[in-house]
Amino acid sequence: MVARRIAARAAPLLLDAAQVAIVAIVFVAPLLWMVTAGFKDPDTVTALPPQVLFHPTLQNFRTVLTTMPFLRFALNSVVIAGGSTALGVLLGVPAAFAVSWNRMHWPALLMLAARMAPGALFLLPWFVMFSAIGAVGSFWVLIVTHAAITLPLALWTMLPFFDALPRELTEAARIDGCSDIEVLLRVVLPLVGPGLAVSVILCFVFAWNYFLFSLVLSDIHSRTLIVAAFNFVGEGVTDWGALMAAATLIALPPVVVTFLGQRWLVAGLTAGAVKG
Amino acid sequence: MLLPALGFIALMIGFPLFDTLWLSLQHFSFGSSPRFAALGNYAQLLQDTKFWQGLRVTLALYLLSLALQLLAGLYLALLLHRTRVLRGLLRTLLVSPFVMPPVVVGMMWLVILDPSLGIANWLLGLVGIAPALWLASPDWVVPTVAMIDTWQWAPFVALILLAGLQTLPPDVFEAAAIDGARGWALLRRVTLPLLAPSIITAATLRSVDLLRFFDIIYITTQGGPGDASQTLNIYAFKQGFVFLDIGYASALMVTLTAIVIGAVLVLMRLRQAATW
Repeated sequence: MVARRIAARAAPLLLDAAQVAIVAIVFVAPLLWMVTAGFKDPDTVTALPPQVLFHPTLQNFRTVLTTMPFLRFALNSVVIAGGSTALGVLLGVPAAFAVSWNRMHWPALLMLAARMAPGALFLLPWFVMFSAIGAVGSFWVLIVTHAAITLPLALWTMLPFFDALPRELTEAARIDGCSDIEVLLRVVLPLVGPGLAVSVILCFVFAWNYFLFSLVLSDIHSRTLIVAAFNFVGEGVTDWGALMAAATLIALPPVVVTFLGQRWLVAGLTAGAVKG
Repeated sequence: MLLPALGFIALMIGFPLFDTLWLSLQHFSFGSSPRFAALGNYAQLLQDTKFWQGLRVTLALYLLSLALQLLAGLYLALLLHRTRVLRGLLRTLLVSPFVMPPVVVGMMWLVILDPSLGIANWLLGLVGIAPALWLASPDWVVPTVAMIDTWQWAPFVALILLAGLQTLPPDVFEAAAIDGARGWALLRRVTLPLLAPSIITAATLRSVDLLRFFDIIYITTQGGPGDASQTLNIYAFKQGFVFLDIGYASALMVTLTAIVIGAVLVLMRLRQAATW
């Protein structure tokens, strides 16, 4: 009797555990395959059945770092993603505060529309414009174009955090003689630290991952890692170990950064749609 | 505080938006001088078999991917909601796919799905299934891309639905349990109707990305084999930045944007209807 009761209790638990295991394998196995392939020598990487126990090598990472200016491209990515994040947050956070405080709808909807349109819709006139003034390939062009992605994102992720603040708080500060900027900097921002963190993280990840704008508007000097990786594939590189080593390095910054801010991430990503 | 952001948006998004609309009314090859064409580009588009092919691919990929992601996402969300087994770990793992750069995701699956040396075909061989051409097959390329995108985005859908599940009123489920509702009936008659707003939110967010599908296709197949995976966005990109037919590409982009906005408006209407 007891044994049967325990079995009846344990069965659903085991069933769930099995499903959790299968789900984890489905979503993690490809990543694991990619990361381990980066540490395999050319013979091992294509070996089937796959060699689970292999002698790890750093040769592929050496290849990646020496055959192309990988660090240069990485620096470009950092400058462009970092610069557009800074610009997007600097413009987007005060805007979000104003929208939230005045309970306006249209600026937020405008930004949502900006997020909905395909990137190439803006890219065509940008390309014509920036070619005309000979600015294609320059860093400032890449930073301001990527800020067109980060600004709406910053605004939408900050909105729910500002909306959640009690109005009395800012009203009191105003009565005490604070200007709008002072209210934002001294009273409000210290209270929305988590929101600011999500905002910065999401902006950075989106700008780092964004492919289309750099594909068209960067040149050999301002090429980002993402575009360099694409060219790597396009050249028909058959050195899978090096390819996967490069892929791992490029994926590392966004993955690491999001793990740090994971708790608020989904709330931030869905903010636009839930409120819209 | 709103002004700097609005100024930036007007300059970087508002102006280009109207410029694209204007360019779509011109015969304009990059480098030559534009000639007014009225609706000539749109008339050309209706005659263009590649446009209709692109529309077919876009819609097929959209519907297939959306269905797969909503189903897989719902399954994952229900699993995460009900089980205590390793829930925290699973949630953490599920964040990695959708914060990875699409370029990296494309590289990873190119290697895994390689027809001759990839591990996917080897695994199929283990269970006696003939090797597939995957991305190299005109018939299978769209389902394969849909599968890749589902791997990347079903976890995102799952996290939105999980957040939705956690806010559902528990008393409804207690009442349903007293009335003897269990399993499939409970899911169909209670959980799903209550969860509908969250499901539509997830569908809206995915629709915007899926209808303008670009990155993973551009990296893996560039629209091939033939034009079997050439979405409207890929086709417009090629017209604009490879063939430099800016006028025609603008007309294509405007059409695609209209489709995206139409889909979002329909889904927002649906969401209102489903709100309880």
